[in-house]
Amino acid sequence: MNGNVHTRVQVPPGVQCFVGPEARRRRRIEDRVLGVFEGWSYEEIIPPLFDYADVFPEDLAARTYSFVGRDGSLLALRPDFTSLLAKIAAGRLLDRPAPIRLFYSGEVLRYEPPKAGRQSELYQMGCELLGAKSLDADAEVLAVAAECLEAVGARGFVLSLGHVGVFSALAAEAGLDSGRVEALRERIESKDEAGVREVLRGAAGPESQAALERLAALSDDVSRIDEAKAAVAGSRGASLALEELQGVIAALQHAGLGEHLALDLGEVRGLGYYTGLVFRAYAPGLGFEVASGGRYDHLLARFGRPLPAVGFMLGLDRLALLLERQGEDNVPEQPPADLVAGASVGDRLRAALEQRRAGARVRLANGRGPK
Amino acid sequence: MSLTLALSKGKLLSGAEAFWRRAGLPFPDAAGRRLVVLVGGVRFLFVKDMDVPTYVEYGVADCGIAGRDVLLETAADVLEPLDLGFGRCRLVVAAPRGREFDYRRAGAIRIATKYPRVAATHFLERGISAEVVRVHGSVELAPGLGLADGIVDVVETGRTLEENGLVPVEEVAASSARLIVNRASQHARREELQALLGTLRRVVADGVEAVR
Repeated sequence: MNGNVHTRVQVPPGVQCFVGPEARRRRRIEDRVLGVFEGWSYEEIIPPLFDYADVFPEDLAARTYSFVGRDGSLLALRPDFTSLLAKIAAGRLLDRPAPIRLFYSGEVLRYEPPKAGRQSELYQMGCELLGAKSLDADAEVLAVAAECLEAVGARGFVLSLGHVGVFSALAAEAGLDSGRVEALRERIESKDEAGVREVLRGAAGPESQAALERLAALSDDVSRIDEAKAAVAGSRGASLALEELQGVIAALQHAGLGEHLALDLGEVRGLGYYTGLVFRAYAPGLGFEVASGGRYDHLLARFGRPLPAVGFMLGLDRLALLLERQGEDNVPEQPPADLVAGASVGDRLRAALEQRRAGARVRLANGRGPK
Repeated sequence: MSLTLALSKGKLLSGAEAFWRRAGLPFPDAAGRRLVVLVGGVRFLFVKDMDVPTYVEYGVADCGIAGRDVLLETAADVLEPLDLGFGRCRLVVAAPRGREFDYRRAGAIRIATKYPRVAATHFLERGISAEVVRVHGSVELAPGLGLADGIVDVVETGRTLEENGLVPVEEVAASSARLIVNRASQHARREELQALLGTLRRVVADGVEAVR
């Protein structure tokens, strides 16, 4: 257990292995999701498994498996796909005119204690829409997310929508220092109104304070966005952000996706990365989100091609867990296999090849080998 | 399906029961020692206090009652929409009277605690490497017996500290009972949870009125 002493079959913490029906179940979920991405004209990218460590977001650095290459450069196993796609869009795809629609599917690796459906290897499937008009792109990506969840058979899912601009504007206008902004963000993320009051004590005017407290509490039906607008009316930045969000909601409602939407203005994860819309998807049966995403307009500039961008990803591990909880995890039946017998190996193989060419599933009646 | 509420079998239990009764909400009778009880359409889950946030984070329970001290220690990703106001205590660093350590001179200090994460973070943020020794009870004994230079623990009245020759050196955090909610239930069980939250909020507000 400790040091280098372990049995030959012991696995390191955080890794997973799927056999037979489990693997088929995951494959099927993946096929359906990727089918949706392709159906919306997203193009697949298979990015490298590792890249220079500075390609990836700084806030993931502590959880990244990094190592030194032969030439002394610091490399990292990908902890995230979006940075890689942004880099590729700014490099290999530089000549490609915007908008660019890309998708990926594969593992990311993170030092992460196995928790809440997360292992150190996470299987993510996601898409990114780069260089498109904000409203259209936000609405499109949400519609794609909804179709993915529908396609895999998730019942009763909710897309919970927020906009980081609301919080950013209110915090900036309140003139808070960065330490306090982080403390405040953390308390709003937990919807802790008392905590928000505590952080703001003596540090913000009554108007900002009231608005920020409302933010912590505003998680509800999308119809309450007007109430939110009234609460932040004193802030131009926050009002603009809410108008953007309202535009996206209206478009989705018009397209018939209104029943899946919820409002959550306390959704303020990943500040400094996300710049606009943020969302997470939940469904009954699973206590944590199955998909998450948002707008990140500053990322591509880091690679020299400033393009606005929005995207999301679904966690395959969590989707599989959700479907199992919802009783939707029945593995697709395989056609029965024909047992192919014959006098010699050659006979058996010839017969099997013939049946394979005819499209049958075969199983060779081989004898059992010695131990 | 009924709403599931996770409660601590420990020190917050009596406070939670009193609060629920004041709110006019049904609460299981203490007579039974069953760990899962269905009363008035709510499923009550009785678990250890440090486990309450875990049950809620994983969505096994839609909501629960946990002390802020426990939330800091477990760092569970849950919503904390309401300070219920009971179970007030402080998380403090305490040291033997006359041997209160001085941060500026301490090279390395050893701290005994039931809150290893909170303690480690507290000292690291102040630039001090503390050796944190995890104990599961009778924390106040550790300095006197030579296990540690000081402790990080919760105090209500301070009497236990005093009886063991300890004095609070520094406050780490104030704590009280919080209603916590699972992130997914927040949306999936919105109406039921908001109704509950509304009822509980009124009790908190009445409590504040009564004190005034």
